Amino acid sequence: MISEPHDFVLYLSKTWGAVYLLGVFLLAAAWIYWPKRRFVYDRAAQSPLGSEDIQR
Amino acid sequence: MTRDLQLLILALATFVVFVMGAAILGLGRGTGYVLHGWLIAAAAGWGLLKVIGHWSDPEPVVPFEYQDRVIKVGVLACFAWGVFGFTIGDVLAWQLAIPDLNGDMAGSNFGRIRPMHTTAVIFGFGGNALIATSFYVVQRTSRARLAGELLPWFVLGGYNLFVVLAVSGYPFGITQSKEYAEPEWYADLILLVTWVGYFTLYMRTLARRVEPHIYVANWYYLGFIVVIAMLHVVNNLAVPVSISVPKSYPIFAGVQDAMTQWWYGHNAVGFLLTAGFLGMMYYFLPKAAERPIYSYRMSILGFWGITFLYLWAGSHHLHYTALPDWVQYLGMTMSIILLVPSWGTVFNGLLTLNGAWDKVRTDPALRFMMVAILFYGLTTFEGSFMALRSVNTLSHYTDWTVGHVHAGALGWVAFMTFGSMYKMVPWVWKRDGIYSLRLEAWHFWLALSGTLIYVGAMWNSGITQSLMWQTYEPSGVFTYAFIDTVDAMIPYYWMRAIGGLLYLIGALIGAYNIAMTVRGARRPEDGTEAGPLAQPAE
Repeated sequence: MISEPHDFVLYLSKTWGAVYLLGVFLLAAAWIYWPKRRFVYDRAAQSPLGSEDIQR
Repeated sequence: MTRDLQLLILALATFVVFVMGAAILGLGRGTGYVLHGWLIAAAAGWGLLKVIGHWSDPEPVVPFEYQDRVIKVGVLACFAWGVFGFTIGDVLAWQLAIPDLNGDMAGSNFGRIRPMHTTAVIFGFGGNALIATSFYVVQRTSRARLAGELLPWFVLGGYNLFVVLAVSGYPFGITQSKEYAEPEWYADLILLVTWVGYFTLYMRTLARRVEPHIYVANWYYLGFIVVIAMLHVVNNLAVPVSISVPKSYPIFAGVQDAMTQWWYGHNAVGFLLTAGFLGMMYYFLPKAAERPIYSYRMSILGFWGITFLYLWAGSHHLHYTALPDWVQYLGMTMSIILLVPSWGTVFNGLLTLNGAWDKVRTDPALRFMMVAILFYGLTTFEGSFMALRSVNTLSHYTDWTVGHVHAGALGWVAFMTFGSMYKMVPWVWKRDGIYSLRLEAWHFWLALSGTLIYVGAMWNSGITQSLMWQTYEPSGVFTYAFIDTVDAMIPYYWMRAIGGLLYLIGALIGAYNIAMTVRGARRPEDGTEAGPLAQPAE
């Protein structure tokens, strides 16, 4: 039984920690590179280059 | 939130700070501490009167334009702190080269003025640059005015009060002796109140945005704001001894205290000196190059990579200490993985310049940014390399670390700041351009020469130091006495002081150029405006 927080964190870092990080990375990459989002990001990239007149 | 509620919250926060200042000046002992009480009470009292005055006036008509006045003051504060901090830094460098320059005075010894240098440049110069540019970027990318008329001033004023308290406290010995977190509890509380205001202001401005998507520079700025709040609170959890003295004791002890401190210290580098300045880069670089970021999606992936990984890397500062081995290895591993998003960002920045390299030749501001990205790449590679335990046995406790830090601070942070400021200042003050491109170019070359001399000297001195410390006779005794290693450093310390002086002269030229631009002057065109730049080939 794991009772101490230290032991629990140690256990996680030696076992599932890398899997967790890889999972987070893959999820983030899938979210960002999902083809349907391309339009949003391509438009956002132009944001500093267009008109910056105040609107609100 | 109604105007009355906003003013009420602001009045209450300012009143609490005022009461704290009054208590310190009334009950405190010691010149420095009482002086701080007066400073806090005066600043908070003045702020409180402003809030009350604002409250009693009829609701003003908010102009339909960006709130740029607070940005202007932030820019001036940034350069003022920069010149002060660089000067103190070079004085320190000369003291190390010629120890007699110390004058045998307690108030000017290394231990007291070294934190004045680090606080002034990191928090005074870097922090004000981040606040000023973040206010600029969040308004332009949201197409909306800052969500508050008084709050931006309280954020900038409260922040600078914190820096003044920190820097003026060290000569009096007021410090909790935590690197980059030296200020005592009362200054920490003022920063906490200010930071809550900063976060609220930023979020409320973003909520007013016209664009549906939040531009990526704001992600980095928000990462900086949120994580610095978390680091500041946890690392400064301390119990004051009494209201009559500034001293407090941290709630952590031993290796837990060390781990908390370096979790803070490394992430202050990661989120104040990296994430915040990446936010600056992702707005001002495309703007200056007149090209969109090479890969917008890479910038977002880099954001999550840096945010997730940096927070685990702090333990590499504690290799071969009482910290459990597994935590040291964890920090080392994360530091190496961190190279992936860091270099992804470097390539993203450099590839943004594709098709605009001609501007790098003719526009010193863009050149500042380009070189900043190169230094970012160099420093992040070096940092990951130094985090390896085997390399750390050579580099730790030596001047190599000082060289590494200054490659990041002078080469990345300050170069990105100067490049962005040379662009932003004429825009904010509505000038045609910077006062003198020639002076801007001189600033660039002096800063680059100074940085290369400084960093090169420290690499050599650090490795020499370490090798001398680790050289043994066959009998097992040290070959060199410690004083031999100190003697061997002297030429390198001279080089560092000279490099620092060149950097300081460059910054003074930069400050003069900015001041003249602010005054509205413009050097007459004489056909050699961009000298000493190389002229583009015909």
